[in-house]
Amino acid sequence: MRRLLQALPLLLAVVVVNFGLIQAAPGSFLDVMTAEQQVTDPAIIERLRVAYGMDQSVSVQLWRYLQSVLQLDLGYSYRHNAPVAEVIGAHLPATLVLMLSAIGVAVLVGCTAGVVAAVKVGSWWDALISAAAVFFFAAPGFWLGIMLMVLFSVKLGWLPVGGMQTIGLDGGVWVQVLDLLRHMALPTLTLGLFYAALYARVTRASMLEVSRLDFVRAARARGLTPLRVVVAHMLRNALLPVVTLLALQLGTVLGGSVVVEAVFSWPGIGSVLFDSVTSRNYPVVLGVLLLSALVVTVANLLVDILYTRLDPRVRVR
Amino acid sequence: MSLIRLLSAAALLVASALPLSAAAAAATEPAAQRGGTLTATWGGLEPQALFVPAGGGSSPFFTSTKILERLLRLEGDLRFTPLLADSVKAAPDFKSYTVKIRRGVKFHDGRALTADDVAWNALEYWKPVSIGVALKALRTVDTPDAQTAVFRLDAPIPEFAFKSVLATALVLPKHLYAGKDIITNPINNTPVGTGPFKYKTWVRGSHVEFVRNESYWRPELPYLDRLIIRWWRDPASRAAALEAGELDIATFNPVPVPEVARLVNGGRFVVDKRGYENSAWVSTIEFNQRRDIVNNRQVRQGILHAINRKFITDTVYFKQARPAVSPFSSVNRLFHDPNVPKYPFDPVKAGQLLDAAGYPVKDGSRFTVNLVSAGWFEENVKLGQVIKQALEDVKIKVHLQILDRPTSLKRIYGDYDYDIALSNNAASIEPVPSLTQFYTTDGIVKGAAFRNATGFSRPDVDSLVFKLSTEPQPAKRRQLATEFARIVSTEVPLVPLVEIEPYTVAHKKVRGHSTSANFMGEGWAEVWIAK
Repeated sequence: MRRLLQALPLLLAVVVVNFGLIQAAPGSFLDVMTAEQQVTDPAIIERLRVAYGMDQSVSVQLWRYLQSVLQLDLGYSYRHNAPVAEVIGAHLPATLVLMLSAIGVAVLVGCTAGVVAAVKVGSWWDALISAAAVFFFAAPGFWLGIMLMVLFSVKLGWLPVGGMQTIGLDGGVWVQVLDLLRHMALPTLTLGLFYAALYARVTRASMLEVSRLDFVRAARARGLTPLRVVVAHMLRNALLPVVTLLALQLGTVLGGSVVVEAVFSWPGIGSVLFDSVTSRNYPVVLGVLLLSALVVTVANLLVDILYTRLDPRVRVR
Repeated sequence: MSLIRLLSAAALLVASALPLSAAAAAATEPAAQRGGTLTATWGGLEPQALFVPAGGGSSPFFTSTKILERLLRLEGDLRFTPLLADSVKAAPDFKSYTVKIRRGVKFHDGRALTADDVAWNALEYWKPVSIGVALKALRTVDTPDAQTAVFRLDAPIPEFAFKSVLATALVLPKHLYAGKDIITNPINNTPVGTGPFKYKTWVRGSHVEFVRNESYWRPELPYLDRLIIRWWRDPASRAAALEAGELDIATFNPVPVPEVARLVNGGRFVVDKRGYENSAWVSTIEFNQRRDIVNNRQVRQGILHAINRKFITDTVYFKQARPAVSPFSSVNRLFHDPNVPKYPFDPVKAGQLLDAAGYPVKDGSRFTVNLVSAGWFEENVKLGQVIKQALEDVKIKVHLQILDRPTSLKRIYGDYDYDIALSNNAASIEPVPSLTQFYTTDGIVKGAAFRNATGFSRPDVDSLVFKLSTEPQPAKRRQLATEFARIVSTEVPLVPLVEIEPYTVAHKKVRGHSTSANFMGEGWAEVWIAK
């Protein structure tokens, strides 16, 4: 619980630093809104400046924002004409679904590939998996996404082109779920394969390291089947670096991936964040970054607990 | 009087010659079919709100105009056709206009449209919020009966200019907006209007769905049952969506230019350049008159001679653009006149002019300028580099900065912090104020975007524009406009470099599209799908 308390000043620092960064960026929300609304009258420009709270000094604006956050009010987005919480909430489920699935795919595919590569080290399995890992890690996300889209959506017609749901689909829960899975397939694959490459390499290296340790030889000597040795003995001990990676990646869950969301028109938070930065819509930017910091903190806390279960030698201080 | 008849006849002749192919095609077009769902998109992103009362840019313009309508519609041949107004008649002194409002028009919630709505819109919405300067002279609107609205003006407004306003200004339901702040009214996200489509749902990040307005004032329209506007962030995804059949029509340069040829050659799609006449996009170069060096006319003219516009249209715009000649776009059939001073690509002449201006080559360069390119279009990124190279070829050193949208807006229109700037604008056919506000003294409003940021100010130009805004005779207006074009093409504070040609890509089965002078911003009641 000490960790949770330690998190509070961290979150405060996140808000202050991000607020400062946005204010430092040239151009303001007022510039964008007055351009879009074609405002000429200096009186209306002044009225908007007051409405957006920009007539106050920067420190006053920061103090007012902090106060509202403590009351769990993330502010109002004038650009969307809706509260920030509503804007984020509208896109949050889409992002969570995509990112968690992608990480799930990455862990499953990557770890399995890494284990196979380590067990069959030196064989053509290993060479193939290592080459594939390099390929998927190096390939740009948008290229991979578009290529998958051209193959599966355009040429084969098996999967839809972008979006999250078929518009106007009638049907029960299972029809909806299947539709979601069909839409999710390509973006999850695009994101997941990239992460899987990481996991594959890390798992492979970790497994190779563990395979040299004495207890593995002892397990084999005892006559246990190779599968049991690998899964029950080696894997558990090799998982530590993987769990570390997982912790880092869970932190990115809320940010989403702007590139994949752009290619597949996935209605996630990444695009909202990007739009908000380019229109200097700081309440939304701060809201997303604050929630991200919260998720990172919680994720790290959970992973620390997982560490102690995996390796009792590691103690939470 | 006879001169006007002659000019109108000439204009009509020119105008009628152009859609000849379209008319021939229409003659063999089958009858429109009812029903179907159309999925549409445009070459940009989701709007921040479905309806932004003060404008908001192309995206809300696209979505809001399916629900909200105007009194008149401007067609591609520059006629005004009646929409919510049956007729608009000017008084002989052009200081008042009588608008007869169509009977039987209902808003989507069932309330009838009356002259009271129109009067409220004109005085509380158009004049203060959405139209502004063009209705400066509007004093009041009388409503002698429920179907008549008389606009009373302090100064004459020419007929084309006034009707352009009525073809631009959207009619809101007074009963839902009166007494509230129009700009922040929550109903802007679920708009209510008189249009052919009603709002159904908006799934943020994905699409907005409209359904047929069953009590539309034209009973046989709209042809479509549902209209869905989806947004893709990536041009390649739009091309994929077209090919996979998930997208039927896409306006405003939706796919990369090389893709267009591939899609059309496949035989299932057509590309159409009609429907953008009232939104003439140009790419502009402007010179800050507050800075030494570029406030010298010979320097500006020399720089213009150093730029190869054909290279720009061919390389940066893949031939989907024309070199600009006059401040009035060549699609502007009312005011375009090619007889203005021109600046053809001539690096030798450029050098001579720069020498004569007092900037000979010293130590390998003449002077240094900073060039700000507004990076809101990808083409502006390339354009900035092209201009930089062109200037370096005549020995001018250039510091190039390509900035994102808010920074560009601030640097160019807020702080006036640039020597040379590359920007864009889309002028309507009526030049006052959409075009003239770049050149007049009252167009200088610090902080207001897409106006006079160069600081150019000449009393003769101001008085020409004033006369242009109040002169009722079309022939005299044209003369004034030509004189205006001649002066600003000599002084060249802000010059259109190329005229961008927007295009629409549609599946062959979609018919009735790319009509009117600004198709993206019309109701699409006449669009239909051939089965």
